Amino acid sequence: MLGEGTESSVITDVIFWVIAVGTIVAAIAVVQLRDLFRAALFLVVAFLGAAGMFVLLRAEFIAVVQVLIYVGAISVLIIFAIMTTREVEQGSPYNRLQVPALILAGLFLAGVIFVIFSTEWNVLDTAISGGRLADETATKASEVFAGTVPRIAGLLIREYVLAFEVASVVLLAAIIGALSLMRER
Amino acid sequence: MEGQAVKAGFDFLGIYGFFDGLMPESLDWLAFLVAGFILAFAIINALVVSTAVYTWFERRALGKFQSRLGPNRWGPFGLLQPIADVVKFMSKEDTVPDGADRQVFTLAPIVFVATGFLVFALIPLGSNDWLSRLNIGLVFIIAVTSVNTLAIFMAGWSSRNKYAMFGAMRGVAMLISYEVPMALAIAAVALASQSLSTYTVVTNQEVPFMLVMPLAFFIFVAAASAEMSRTPFDLIESESELGSGYHTEYSGMKFALFQLAEFMAPIIVSCIVATLFLSGWRGWGPIPGQVWFILKALVVLCALLWFRATWPRLRVDQIMEFAWKGLFPLSLLNLFAVATEIQLLRDPVTGALTDSDMWAMAAINWAITGIVFLAVSRMFARKQLQRPLPKPSPLANMGAEAE
Amino acid sequence: MYGAGMAKGLLVTMKNFVKPDRMFTVQYPDRKVSPTELAKMSGVGVFTFMRKNPKTAFKAMTGQMTVPARLKQHPRFRGEEFTWYEQRCTGCASCAKYCPLGIIRIVTSPSGEQVQEGQKYHLDVFDIDIGRCMFCGLCVEACPYDALHMGSGFEEGKYRRKDLVVTVDRLKSQPKHPSTWFRPQIQGKEGYHPHGEKDVTWQEAGRHEQPSRKHQEEKWAKR
Repeated sequence: MLGEGTESSVITDVIFWVIAVGTIVAAIAVVQLRDLFRAALFLVVAFLGAAGMFVLLRAEFIAVVQVLIYVGAISVLIIFAIMTTREVEQGSPYNRLQVPALILAGLFLAGVIFVIFSTEWNVLDTAISGGRLADETATKASEVFAGTVPRIAGLLIREYVLAFEVASVVLLAAIIGALSLMRER
Repeated sequence: MEGQAVKAGFDFLGIYGFFDGLMPESLDWLAFLVAGFILAFAIINALVVSTAVYTWFERRALGKFQSRLGPNRWGPFGLLQPIADVVKFMSKEDTVPDGADRQVFTLAPIVFVATGFLVFALIPLGSNDWLSRLNIGLVFIIAVTSVNTLAIFMAGWSSRNKYAMFGAMRGVAMLISYEVPMALAIAAVALASQSLSTYTVVTNQEVPFMLVMPLAFFIFVAAASAEMSRTPFDLIESESELGSGYHTEYSGMKFALFQLAEFMAPIIVSCIVATLFLSGWRGWGPIPGQVWFILKALVVLCALLWFRATWPRLRVDQIMEFAWKGLFPLSLLNLFAVATEIQLLRDPVTGALTDSDMWAMAAINWAITGIVFLAVSRMFARKQLQRPLPKPSPLANMGAEAE
Repeated sequence: MYGAGMAKGLLVTMKNFVKPDRMFTVQYPDRKVSPTELAKMSGVGVFTFMRKNPKTAFKAMTGQMTVPARLKQHPRFRGEEFTWYEQRCTGCASCAKYCPLGIIRIVTSPSGEQVQEGQKYHLDVFDIDIGRCMFCGLCVEACPYDALHMGSGFEEGKYRRKDLVVTVDRLKSQPKHPSTWFRPQIQGKEGYHPHGEKDVTWQEAGRHEQPSRKHQEEKWAKR
């Protein structure tokens, strides 16, 4: 268990199911609860579930960044927005379109499940245990998981530097927008 | 500077190995779980007990700093005072306000305390004494401390009390403002140690990073003090101003959890500072690494206590100004300087930094810190007002003249 | 220089921490003493004291010995008790008449004492209700014989309101440490300390004495 973790065992499956069911329940609670603040808290639970999924996929840096950004900053933003809403104690108003939305979401879910099941996923675990990869490819492939952070950093600065810079420009635009909203005439 | 001549024994690998030998092969996750549980149990108990002792220490030391006595009635030198406090908290009625959100109200102090315990998992107490060697440790620290804002929101909102909301909003604004300089200071440390794991930060720290990056040290200590809502940043619990801020409606054991988290935070931050900036368990001589670590954490703790005893509380707009106009540019400057130095000084083949590189960085950084300090003083410090000397009044000596 | 004020503040608190005599907390009602203080109080050297009373010294070192702490008190301090000299009191009830709150209750009976110099009544009931008293001292100013004075004590807390009524027995028996407020004759005395060991006697407490029988005969009876 303390090794590089390229094998999955019973406990990993149990944890996966617990986190998956928890995330789905939390996500349903976000849209169904009347009390907006509790809905926001369940959204936090959903984010934490997503972070757990990332850990199970052995992308722990993304998991921690998910917690840092989504739980630490975006949830705070959402809660601030909830607090500055007028008449927030009355909760979510009644919605006439619930059944059509449910049908549409069900159709979308069916489509996504069909696509997931019919794709050929290149999963590293089954490839290694099924013996479909040569030995040194297998070792090099599992070494990818040994140092995710330097690889992500390298990718961001070298291949995807344009996206990185555009993201910072977008942030700058958001800050300037916020400042101009708050500026006194 | 290895400092491990004496092995102090209580290490995770040893316990895991012991249990791994007991369990069959397919259940080795159970060995991991049990070993982790035992060590976590020990660490949590040690933390809570040391928080209780720290409350006594803080009150006595604050008294001495402020030329008064601290608690001295219960037990010799007031040593049983923490027990009296715990008994008081346990015997108080646990009130929940009528219109409050019961579940969220109860959950808020739990979340507040849990984030503190989580951070302590990353701190290596010795070269074999660690609970986890996450390769993303530093980001984990920042992420978990940013969950504190949620706990404060939950506490303030579920109390359904205007004044609790005010305190919570101000507290959250302060906390999210100070996360940015703290993260940037930690980024500078990550650059110099070339890893995000706290264990590697200590192992790569031949020269303590406090000497190498004094500006980052100062920024981190200031930002961490604000994250803990400790004087001079403790406007949240300035009881004379806003009731009690976000914990107005809490009493009994829930309030005790808030106080536990509040007094545990300086201990945890001192341990983090000792790990990141004072080279953790590294020392020399026959003293084991754990003792060095505790000594360094104690020094930082006493320094934080000294600051609490001395400086007055800042107003909320002064706090925001200090964060965004003071610490944030300084942290950016520090990050830029450290990154430039590392790029220029490191070995071009392996990318490693040697001792002499670090000392060179230290010299340059201290010079930069001095220059920044002087420049900031020149630009921002207010000059003393020149008051004119009072002119003697013609009515001054009426008594003498009358004679 | 930015931060110079902060550094000066830090030095001040460090001085408070390091220097031993900067603590000015006054502990009340008792304070914990160390073996050196106990030795000084009994007038011997520290080690002699520790040798002679090892158990007391050990208790003092672990912080369990307490001595009552008396604060310095000004002689003119008007406490919450009354000092009454029955040798000087004639039962005229001027104090009861002057009291703005009417809390003094006096019931007298003829005593047969000092019949010639003017009747001196025997006081059966002399109740002062300290629970309602505002300690204005008008009763003390009113007493023509300097029999009633303000006291110096202030530890009058009781569990019931009716226990706060001071009766004549208590007034007779309690130790007499009058305050020197409105009684300049006591103030002039050397070394008068309200909590000293000795009481002020009834002769010392008065401004003037009742005229003796001889004096009365000379001055008035022979007119």
